[in-house]
Amino acid sequence: MAFERILMKHVDVPNSTSLSVYKSDGGYEGAAKALQMKAEQVVELVKEANVRGRGGAGFPAGLKWSFLPAERDVTYLCVNADESEPPTFCNRVLMETDPHMLLEGILIAGYATRTTVAYIYMRGEFIEQFHIMQKAIDEAYEAGYLGKNILGSGYDLDCYIHRGAGAYICGEETGLIESLEGKRGWPRIKPPFPAVEGAFRKPTVVNNVETLACLPHIITRGVEWWQSLGPEGSFGPKMYCVSGPVNKPGCYEGPMGISVRDLIYADEFGGGMRDGKKVKAVLPGGFSMGVLRGDLFPKAPDGTVDPAQDYDELDARLDFDDVRRYGLLGLGTAAAVVVAEDTDIRDVLANVARFFAMESCGQCTQCREGSSWMYKMAQRIRGGAGRIADLDVLVEVTQNMGMMPGESICGLSDGAAWPIRTIVQKFRKEFEQHISAQAPDAAAEWIRRVNPAAYGLPIAQGRAEVMPGGTFYRPDSEPDTVEA
Amino acid sequence: MPKIIIDGQEIECRPGIPVLQAALEAGMDIPHYCYHPGLKIVASCRLCLMEMKMPHPKTKEMAWAPKLFPSCQTPAKDGMEVRFDSDAVRANVRHVMEYYLLNHPLDCPVCDKAGECYLQDYTEDHGSAASRMVDEKQKNPKKDIGPQTLLYSDRCVLCSRCVRFCDEISGTSELRVINRGSRGEIDVFPGRPLDNALQGNVVELCPVGALLDKEFLFRQRVWTLKTTKSISPVDSRGQSIYIDYNEEGIHRIRPRFNEKVNEWWISDEARFGWKHVHRDDRLNQPRVRGSDGLVPQRWEELPEFLRKRLADAAKQVSDSVAVVLSPMMSCEEAWLLAKAVRDVAPQAVLFHGFVPVVGEDRTFPKGFVVKAEKCPNRRGIETICEHLGGNTANWGDFLGMASSGKIKAAYVVGGYPNEWLTSEAVAAIGQVEFLVVQDLFPTALTEHAAVEIPSVSWTEREGMFMNCDGLLQEFERALNPLEGTKADGQFFFELAGNVGLFRAKKVREEMAAALPVFADVFIPQELPEHAH
Amino acid sequence: MAWRTIDRTKVSPEEMGPGLSAAVREKIQAFFPRYPTKQAALIPALHIIQDALGYISLQAMEDVAELLELHPSQVMDVVSFYSMFWTHPRGKKTIMLCRSLSCELMGGKNVRDALVEKLGIKEHETTDDGEWSFMTEECLAACEHAPCMLINEKLHKCVRVEDLNRILSDPDNDKLEMPRSDLFDAPRTAQT
Repeated sequence: MAFERILMKHVDVPNSTSLSVYKSDGGYEGAAKALQMKAEQVVELVKEANVRGRGGAGFPAGLKWSFLPAERDVTYLCVNADESEPPTFCNRVLMETDPHMLLEGILIAGYATRTTVAYIYMRGEFIEQFHIMQKAIDEAYEAGYLGKNILGSGYDLDCYIHRGAGAYICGEETGLIESLEGKRGWPRIKPPFPAVEGAFRKPTVVNNVETLACLPHIITRGVEWWQSLGPEGSFGPKMYCVSGPVNKPGCYEGPMGISVRDLIYADEFGGGMRDGKKVKAVLPGGFSMGVLRGDLFPKAPDGTVDPAQDYDELDARLDFDDVRRYGLLGLGTAAAVVVAEDTDIRDVLANVARFFAMESCGQCTQCREGSSWMYKMAQRIRGGAGRIADLDVLVEVTQNMGMMPGESICGLSDGAAWPIRTIVQKFRKEFEQHISAQAPDAAAEWIRRVNPAAYGLPIAQGRAEVMPGGTFYRPDSEPDTVEA
Repeated sequence: MPKIIIDGQEIECRPGIPVLQAALEAGMDIPHYCYHPGLKIVASCRLCLMEMKMPHPKTKEMAWAPKLFPSCQTPAKDGMEVRFDSDAVRANVRHVMEYYLLNHPLDCPVCDKAGECYLQDYTEDHGSAASRMVDEKQKNPKKDIGPQTLLYSDRCVLCSRCVRFCDEISGTSELRVINRGSRGEIDVFPGRPLDNALQGNVVELCPVGALLDKEFLFRQRVWTLKTTKSISPVDSRGQSIYIDYNEEGIHRIRPRFNEKVNEWWISDEARFGWKHVHRDDRLNQPRVRGSDGLVPQRWEELPEFLRKRLADAAKQVSDSVAVVLSPMMSCEEAWLLAKAVRDVAPQAVLFHGFVPVVGEDRTFPKGFVVKAEKCPNRRGIETICEHLGGNTANWGDFLGMASSGKIKAAYVVGGYPNEWLTSEAVAAIGQVEFLVVQDLFPTALTEHAAVEIPSVSWTEREGMFMNCDGLLQEFERALNPLEGTKADGQFFFELAGNVGLFRAKKVREEMAAALPVFADVFIPQELPEHAH
Repeated sequence: MAWRTIDRTKVSPEEMGPGLSAAVREKIQAFFPRYPTKQAALIPALHIIQDALGYISLQAMEDVAELLELHPSQVMDVVSFYSMFWTHPRGKKTIMLCRSLSCELMGGKNVRDALVEKLGIKEHETTDDGEWSFMTEECLAACEHAPCMLINEKLHKCVRVEDLNRILSDPDNDKLEMPRSDLFDAPRTAQT
């Protein structure tokens, strides 16, 4: 049975960004219905449906709302449209094809949380999308879906777009709030959580674009419909992104829990690999969640899952829980970038490491220093001057940076550590092959050039020791849920 | 008082403080950079992470949580159990220390902070001897960021204490972090230097050698310095300070914690208010006017000589002898001098000395005050005069009486770091027949003086000051009196007819017996040994 | 001093660069009612300034600080944090090329090399004729169109090396093809 597209229902509809097209198809009916209800009822409904945030951490949206203090005069809603996790672009697609769906979601969430002003924090690189969204907001104001006394309910809501200016960390909810306040996007220490003290020190809700876009449909179609999609605990439709050398890179909608293999190979999704190549690796949840081995590797016998073994891992299902069995941090943004068999894994490592080195906000020491150190090592490894010891040091640094989610102020440190650790661990054989194929003195020569002071030390000759007692990792402990 | 368990040891702590503070106050050495009790908590250095017992999500039994928590950000709650003495915590500290040294230059031999640097200390205790970093080091520039301060940003650990200080305490916001990630640096806006009345504090706040005082730059290795607890005489609040000195003299002044006055900070005035101590033109011998003008006199002969001359003057007209007690004097000194003069001239009038006032009081955002009144002991002098009773009057009265010729003999004490006499004052005081002047520097009174006695700076004396709020605080001697001089207290002690050594404590006991307010000396809390 | 120290205490008028015109100030002030604090208007203000001047000069930072009741260092702090803001003059058109993994896998590196060669400039530089500036960005969130790049406001998708001549010579290669909101102007270079 073909999946009925919900969030992307207007992707192929001409002029889909206009209010008239959106309304012709039941648009704003969810909001109208919600505004007839009591705000608490809307919160209860969303809680009951168990809508988990689409931003990456999967925190239940209704629960987040219920953290707001009962007594409050002002509440802000921040819409996280700072879609900067590579290679994620589903929010962009949603905003440029169906801006009113987001606005309707904002209206429902705003009403449920008694929000007075909603800020859409949109990344600065979204320029077309800004103008599309702004036009939609203007239309919505004119039609009375925003502004004073919306649909005669007595509820007032203002909605503004706040453009970012190029900083990944502003996708972290408190980094976003700081940036909204006109400061550098340094995440705040928690507690207090934004629900209690957020933007401008007032109670604030931060929700992702896709999460909000789900709301109108839950209101109109009901909780039962919502829970009929996807596996237990991961309900609802999900927008998946797939990019890299697949035949049909793009954004696709499906139920939660499709397999990575389907996302790459199924006709309704990625449509297979270009030139029939095999998949070496997939980063299936955005960079931060880690890497899976592709079908270049043999299939595991009788479906065993063991991230320590070199088996094909494409059967991982993209929902909030299954991916963790494969050593991933979580579902993330469900945006997969596919690496083909002929790509050098060292390039992947260097690209990922550079991203986090450039985007670390620089507040916590591990993340600031660790990410740039890892990038320097990754660069050297890519440059053909790696050492086996570097692989050990890399893994050790990631273990300190991301021992457990929540040890640094925000989750970026874990997000930086996880992919690098999984890349090095899962593709260690390939790294070792590359290193052993290098000229014997390649690493020493490189080091002599860039850091003469270190050249004389034993470490330059590749004899780095992992610090005694230096690794702390308890695979049996469960990571906490992080809000992001 | 909440009780918490740290490393198996039960500790009672002040309510509401973070676990880190409780641990430090219990004498534990917990590494930390960004945490400072006087500043907002940012929890960014991640050095002070600890393990904590939490209810297990499923069984609800208390167990060590799998992740580490920043102890600076976790309030100490009664019954909580934490530990620093664990493999996970040690591994974290070791790693973080390694990160700090990735790009840090190995320039301790030329770094002013060496010896009191927390990067050195923590690396020694928790770090590793060799870096595993073999790649290119990032070299951040050295910057001139203000009239008094340099920033060697290659040494910076980005704890952001200086930034928070400028935001919260001085309220001037000159310093910021610029750039992102590992490219982060501290900087000022070009042309808007770090230049405020409290800016010097960022130098001590800096746990490493990134922020440097130009005055102290390359001057001394800190381990050659001796330290004395003192009170700054620059304004009437009596900021607590440390004087760092050695046989070459004073090298710098640092803030000393005082919960009632200056907390962790001092004003730049106090910090740099020691330059006059080493001026070349300090008076360095007593002189008595003879037929050829002022001629040097031996100290031993002075007390007897003065007692006689003052007694003679008192015999002419009983209230014609004046003593001007400078607010730069300590309480003990004022007490001794007043008593000594009243001993030979019982009707002598006690005058409060000149009180210098510059501008108006300045209050900074979190309540730090720089007082307009630029002397340490006006209240002390007033209290003593009031207690001793008899004729007392203020500086203005003194000038009036002197110019009208009512005063036959006067003992005038100065001791101000700067020029303090107006020409009118000089003209008035010049009318006094027998004028004894005791001061730090030659003044216009020298030509009228019958006797000129050198005074010494507060760093060469000991005693107590009563600040503008009536708080009595003691200060200790750092330097020996300049060659040829005698500590004021010692001289007054002898003038009062005593033999032997002046001990401020002894005099204080005598004063306290007479006037209980002097028994109540305020001693600020000591900061925990490992706090910084 | 034993080694070179940068003097941050002084600045010459040339280094300060151009300030804010009345029109720009007005545009910034229009954002004030949106936020409970003036400071919150800083990032929109910086976009407006960059659209007008091409970059954010020191004088502009001072001016906007005054307008928003901040210390200029706070403005510098924010400007330096966000990668889209330039603190030195840009050419008329700025190419922002994505260098993230999807684009790299699809040939982004070749595009980068070809661009660098064609323009003869490195990152954050401007061609001598003042026409082009070049930077790379971590991800433009258009991975399905990899490799992609922005020229000022317009996104160019699936850029191949052989397309570059055509794209660069198109006079409308930086124009949005949609009705635009008047909150932000199209970028233009600084009026000198």
